[in-house]
Amino acid sequence: MTDIYGANANLIAKVMDLRLERQNLVMSNLANINIPGYKARSLDFESDLQNAIGTADLRSGMTRTNGKHVPGTYDASDYQGDVVKEFKPRTIYGADAVDMDKEMSTMAKNSLMYNALTTVMKSNFDGISKIIAEGGK
Amino acid sequence: MDFMTALDIGGSALSAQRTYMNVISMNLANAKTTRTANGQGPYQRKSVALESTPATPFGKAMDSALSQELQGVRVTGIVNDNRPTKQVYEPGHPDADANGFVQYPDINVVEEMTNMIQASRGYEANTTTISTIKAMYNKALEIGR
Repeated sequence: MTDIYGANANLIAKVMDLRLERQNLVMSNLANINIPGYKARSLDFESDLQNAIGTADLRSGMTRTNGKHVPGTYDASDYQGDVVKEFKPRTIYGADAVDMDKEMSTMAKNSLMYNALTTVMKSNFDGISKIIAEGGK
Repeated sequence: MDFMTALDIGGSALSAQRTYMNVISMNLANAKTTRTANGQGPYQRKSVALESTPATPFGKAMDSALSQELQGVRVTGIVNDNRPTKQVYEPGHPDADANGFVQYPDINVVEEMTNMIQASRGYEANTTTISTIKAMYNKALEIGR
Protein backbone atom coordinates (compact mmCIF):
# COMPACT_ATOMS: atom_id res chain seq x y z
CA MET A 1 0.00 0.00 0.00
CA THR A 2 3.00 2.28 -0.30
CA ASP A 3 1.90 4.96 -2.68
CA ILE A 4 2.12 8.69 -3.12
CA TYR A 5 0.24 9.29 0.11
CA GLY A 6 2.67 7.37 2.30
CA ALA A 7 2.34 3.89 3.75
CA ASN A 8 0.12 4.82 6.65
CA ALA A 9 -2.65 6.84 5.02
CA ASN A 10 -5.09 3.94 4.96
CA LEU A 11 -4.20 2.93 8.48
CA ILE A 12 -4.75 6.46 9.79
CA ALA A 13 -8.12 6.56 8.06
CA LYS A 14 -9.04 3.25 9.69
CA VAL A 15 -8.03 4.42 13.16
CA MET A 16 -10.04 7.61 12.64
CA ASP A 17 -13.05 5.45 11.80
CA LEU A 18 -12.57 3.41 14.96
CA ARG A 19 -12.24 6.53 17.07
CA LEU A 20 -15.46 7.88 15.57
CA GLU A 21 -17.03 4.57 16.54
CA ARG A 22 -15.80 4.98 20.08
CA GLN A 23 -17.32 8.45 20.21
CA ASN A 24 -20.62 6.93 19.06
CA LEU A 25 -20.48 4.44 21.92
CA VAL A 26 -19.73 7.15 24.48
CA MET A 27 -22.73 9.10 23.23
CA SER A 28 -24.84 5.98 23.45
CA ASN A 29 -23.73 5.36 27.05
CA LEU A 30 -24.44 8.92 28.13
CA ALA A 31 -27.80 8.91 26.38
CA ASN A 32 -28.78 5.90 28.50
CA ILE A 33 -27.48 7.26 31.78
CA ASN A 34 -30.95 7.16 33.37
CA ILE A 35 -31.95 3.72 32.15
CA PRO A 36 -31.93 1.12 34.91
CA GLY A 37 -30.04 -2.05 33.99
CA TYR A 38 -28.27 -0.52 30.97
CA LYS A 39 -24.72 -1.82 30.59
CA ALA A 40 -22.04 0.62 29.56
CA ARG A 41 -20.18 -0.41 26.41
CA SER A 42 -16.68 0.40 25.31
CA LEU A 43 -14.59 -0.21 22.24
CA ASP A 44 -11.21 -1.89 22.39
CA PHE A 45 -8.98 -1.85 19.35
CA GLU A 46 -5.56 -0.41 20.22
CA SER A 47 -3.84 -3.60 21.34
CA ASP A 48 -5.18 -5.71 18.48
CA LEU A 49 -4.21 -3.09 15.96
CA GLN A 50 -0.75 -2.84 17.51
CA ASN A 51 -0.29 -6.60 17.15
CA ALA A 52 -1.58 -6.46 13.63
CA ILE A 53 0.84 -3.80 12.45
CA GLY A 54 3.78 -5.14 14.42
CA THR A 55 5.58 -5.84 11.18
CA ALA A 56 7.52 -3.05 9.52
CA ASP A 57 6.09 -3.79 6.10
CA LEU A 58 2.34 -4.03 5.85
CA ARG A 59 2.39 -5.85 2.56
CA SER A 60 4.36 -8.96 3.39
CA GLY A 61 3.90 -9.46 7.13
CA MET A 62 1.86 -12.44 8.28
CA THR A 63 -0.29 -10.90 10.96
CA ARG A 64 -3.19 -11.91 13.16
CA THR A 65 -5.71 -9.50 14.62
CA ASN A 66 -7.12 -12.27 16.79
CA GLY A 67 -5.62 -15.46 18.21
CA LYS A 68 -8.38 -17.50 16.55
CA HIS A 69 -7.62 -16.22 13.07
CA VAL A 70 -5.73 -18.10 10.43
CA PRO A 71 -2.60 -16.05 9.78
CA GLY A 72 -2.91 -13.91 6.69
CA THR A 73 -1.77 -10.63 5.27
CA TYR A 74 -3.03 -7.76 7.38
CA ASP A 75 -5.59 -5.57 5.68
CA ALA A 76 -6.75 -2.48 7.54
CA SER A 77 -9.93 -2.10 5.55
CA ASP A 78 -11.95 -4.93 7.09
CA TYR A 79 -10.75 -4.65 10.67
CA GLN A 80 -13.37 -3.92 13.32
CA GLY A 81 -12.73 -3.32 16.99
CA ASP A 82 -14.25 -5.47 19.72
CA VAL A 83 -17.12 -4.02 21.67
CA VAL A 84 -16.63 -4.86 25.31
CA LYS A 85 -19.73 -4.92 27.45
CA GLU A 86 -19.15 -4.25 31.09
CA PHE A 87 -20.36 -6.89 33.51
CA LYS A 88 -23.93 -6.49 34.57
CA PRO A 89 -23.89 -4.03 37.42
CA ARG A 90 -25.67 -4.61 40.67
CA THR A 91 -28.78 -2.49 40.64
CA ILE A 92 -28.60 -0.17 43.60
CA TYR A 93 -31.29 2.43 43.95
CA GLY A 94 -29.86 5.77 42.90
CA ALA A 95 -26.64 4.32 41.45
CA ASP A 96 -25.95 4.62 37.73
CA ALA A 97 -24.56 1.88 35.56
CA VAL A 98 -22.88 4.52 33.41
CA ASP A 99 -19.95 6.32 34.98
CA MET A 100 -20.14 9.85 33.62
CA ASP A 101 -16.60 10.80 34.64
CA LYS A 102 -15.13 7.76 32.93
CA GLU A 103 -17.11 8.38 29.77
CA MET A 104 -16.11 12.04 29.69
CA SER A 105 -12.41 11.27 30.06
CA THR A 106 -12.66 8.55 27.41
CA MET A 107 -14.30 11.07 25.12
CA ALA A 108 -11.70 13.77 25.80
CA LYS A 109 -8.80 11.40 25.10
CA ASN A 110 -10.52 10.05 22.04
CA SER A 111 -11.25 13.39 20.44
CA LEU A 112 -7.73 14.65 21.15
CA MET A 113 -6.30 11.63 19.36
CA TYR A 114 -8.76 12.03 16.52
CA ASN A 115 -7.82 15.68 16.07
CA ALA A 116 -4.13 14.75 16.18
CA LEU A 117 -4.72 12.22 13.41
CA THR A 118 -6.50 14.78 11.25
CA THR A 119 -3.49 17.06 11.70
CA VAL A 120 -1.11 14.27 10.65
CA MET A 121 -3.29 13.52 7.65
CA LYS A 122 -3.45 17.16 6.63
CA SER A 123 0.31 17.68 6.91
CA ASN A 124 0.74 14.57 4.74
CA PHE A 125 -1.36 16.10 2.02
CA ASP A 126 0.26 19.51 2.45
CA GLY A 127 3.67 17.91 1.98
CA ILE A 128 2.57 16.19 -1.21
CA SER A 129 1.14 19.36 -2.71
CA LYS A 130 4.26 21.28 -1.71
CA ILE A 131 6.47 18.74 -3.50
CA ILE A 132 4.27 18.94 -6.58
CA ALA A 133 4.31 22.74 -6.55
CA GLU A 134 8.08 23.02 -5.94
CA GLY A 135 8.90 20.37 -8.51
CA GLY A 136 7.30 22.41 -11.22
CA LYS A 137 9.64 25.36 -10.70
CA MET B 1 -21.89 4.44 11.19
CA ASP B 2 -21.15 8.11 10.74
CA PHE B 3 -21.39 11.49 12.36
CA MET B 4 -25.11 11.59 11.79
CA THR B 5 -25.61 8.45 13.89
CA ALA B 6 -23.79 10.10 16.76
CA LEU B 7 -25.90 13.22 16.44
CA ASP B 8 -29.09 11.15 16.35
CA ILE B 9 -28.13 9.41 19.59
CA GLY B 10 -27.26 12.71 21.26
CA GLY B 11 -30.47 14.29 20.03
CA SER B 12 -32.58 11.43 21.35
CA ALA B 13 -31.00 11.86 24.77
CA LEU B 14 -31.55 15.63 24.78
CA SER B 15 -35.20 15.23 23.92
CA ALA B 16 -35.70 12.55 26.61
CA GLN B 17 -34.07 14.70 29.30
CA ARG B 18 -36.10 17.70 28.20
CA THR B 19 -39.32 15.71 28.46
CA TYR B 20 -38.29 14.61 31.95
CA MET B 21 -37.64 18.25 32.84
CA ASN B 22 -41.09 19.25 31.56
CA VAL B 23 -42.72 16.58 33.69
CA ILE B 24 -40.83 17.76 36.78
CA SER B 25 -41.98 21.33 36.11
CA MET B 26 -45.53 20.04 35.80
CA ASN B 27 -45.26 18.26 39.14
CA LEU B 28 -43.95 21.35 40.90
CA ALA B 29 -46.54 23.59 39.27
CA ASN B 30 -49.33 21.30 40.44
CA ALA B 31 -48.10 20.76 43.98
CA LYS B 32 -51.27 22.33 45.36
CA THR B 33 -53.77 21.30 42.69
CA THR B 34 -56.83 19.78 44.31
CA ARG B 35 -58.99 19.55 41.22
CA THR B 36 -57.96 18.39 37.73
CA ALA B 37 -59.60 19.29 34.42
CA ASN B 38 -61.74 16.17 34.23
CA GLY B 39 -63.05 16.70 37.77
CA GLN B 40 -61.20 13.62 39.03
CA GLY B 41 -59.88 14.61 42.44
CA PRO B 42 -56.39 16.01 43.04
CA TYR B 43 -53.49 16.06 40.58
CA GLN B 44 -51.48 12.85 40.45
CA ARG B 45 -47.69 13.01 40.40
CA LYS B 46 -46.26 12.03 36.99
CA SER B 47 -42.99 10.48 35.97
CA VAL B 48 -41.42 9.45 32.64
CA ALA B 49 -40.73 5.94 31.39
CA LEU B 50 -37.53 5.77 29.33
CA GLU B 51 -36.19 2.91 27.24
CA SER B 52 -33.13 2.21 25.14
CA THR B 53 -33.74 1.91 21.42
CA PRO B 54 -31.38 0.77 18.68
CA ALA B 55 -29.83 3.85 17.07
CA THR B 56 -29.67 2.38 13.59
CA PRO B 57 -32.51 0.72 11.68
CA PHE B 58 -32.46 -3.07 11.91
CA GLY B 59 -31.54 -3.60 8.27
CA LYS B 60 -28.49 -1.41 8.58
CA ALA B 61 -27.56 -2.76 11.97
CA MET B 62 -26.99 -6.15 10.41
CA ASP B 63 -23.96 -4.70 8.64
CA SER B 64 -21.72 -4.85 11.64
CA ALA B 65 -21.67 -6.03 15.21
CA LEU B 66 -20.80 -2.51 16.28
CA SER B 67 -23.99 -0.87 15.06
CA GLN B 68 -26.06 -3.29 17.07
CA GLU B 69 -24.48 -1.98 20.25
CA LEU B 70 -25.39 1.66 19.66
CA GLN B 71 -28.45 2.56 21.67
CA GLY B 72 -30.39 5.79 21.65
CA VAL B 73 -33.08 6.53 24.20
CA ARG B 74 -36.73 7.37 23.91
CA VAL B 75 -39.62 8.29 26.15
CA THR B 76 -42.17 5.48 26.13
CA GLY B 77 -44.72 7.51 28.04
CA ILE B 78 -45.59 9.73 30.94
CA VAL B 79 -46.74 7.49 33.75
CA ASN B 80 -48.85 8.21 36.81
CA ASP B 81 -47.28 7.79 40.20
CA ASN B 82 -49.95 6.14 42.35
CA ARG B 83 -48.77 7.28 45.72
CA PRO B 84 -51.58 8.12 48.16
CA THR B 85 -52.69 11.72 48.54
CA LYS B 86 -52.04 13.94 51.52
CA GLN B 87 -55.08 14.78 53.65
CA VAL B 88 -55.16 18.28 55.09
CA TYR B 89 -57.91 19.59 57.37
CA GLU B 90 -59.25 22.77 55.72
CA PRO B 91 -63.01 23.05 56.23
CA GLY B 92 -63.18 26.37 54.33
CA HIS B 93 -61.70 24.91 51.13
CA PRO B 94 -64.19 24.46 48.26
CA ASP B 95 -62.85 20.93 47.60
CA ALA B 96 -63.15 19.81 51.23
CA ASP B 97 -65.15 16.62 51.87
CA ALA B 98 -67.90 16.17 54.49
CA ASN B 99 -65.34 15.91 57.33
CA GLY B 100 -63.49 19.06 56.23
CA PHE B 101 -60.49 17.21 54.73
CA VAL B 102 -58.91 18.28 51.43
CA GLN B 103 -56.94 15.81 49.25
CA TYR B 104 -53.64 17.34 48.16
CA PRO B 105 -51.15 15.64 45.79
CA ASP B 106 -48.16 14.27 47.70
CA ILE B 107 -45.40 16.18 45.94
CA ASN B 108 -42.10 16.51 47.75
CA VAL B 109 -40.27 19.62 46.54
CA VAL B 110 -36.84 18.29 47.55
CA GLU B 111 -37.39 15.08 45.60
CA GLU B 112 -38.46 17.00 42.51
CA MET B 113 -35.45 19.31 42.80
CA THR B 114 -33.12 16.32 43.01
CA ASN B 115 -34.66 14.85 39.88
CA MET B 116 -34.39 18.23 38.21
CA ILE B 117 -30.66 18.46 38.89
CA GLN B 118 -30.20 14.92 37.59
CA ALA B 119 -32.06 15.74 34.41
CA SER B 120 -30.12 18.92 33.90
CA ARG B 121 -26.76 17.15 34.43
CA GLY B 122 -27.78 14.48 31.96
CA TYR B 123 -28.74 17.17 29.48
CA GLU B 124 -25.40 18.93 29.94
CA ALA B 125 -23.44 15.72 29.49
CA ASN B 126 -25.19 15.08 26.21
CA THR B 127 -24.71 18.64 24.92
CA THR B 128 -21.00 18.13 25.64
CA THR B 129 -20.89 14.93 23.59
CA ILE B 130 -22.63 16.72 20.73
CA SER B 131 -20.13 19.59 20.83
CA THR B 132 -17.30 17.07 20.75
CA ILE B 133 -18.63 15.24 17.72
CA LYS B 134 -19.11 18.57 15.96
CA ALA B 135 -15.51 19.53 16.70
CA MET B 136 -14.35 16.17 15.34
CA TYR B 137 -16.40 16.66 12.22
CA ASN B 138 -14.90 20.09 11.64
CA LYS B 139 -11.39 18.74 12.11
CA ALA B 140 -12.10 16.01 9.57
CA LEU B 141 -13.31 18.65 7.12
CA GLU B 142 -10.06 20.58 7.61
CA ILE B 143 -8.14 17.70 6.01
CA GLY B 144 -9.65 18.67 2.71
CA ARG B 145 -8.88 22.37 2.97
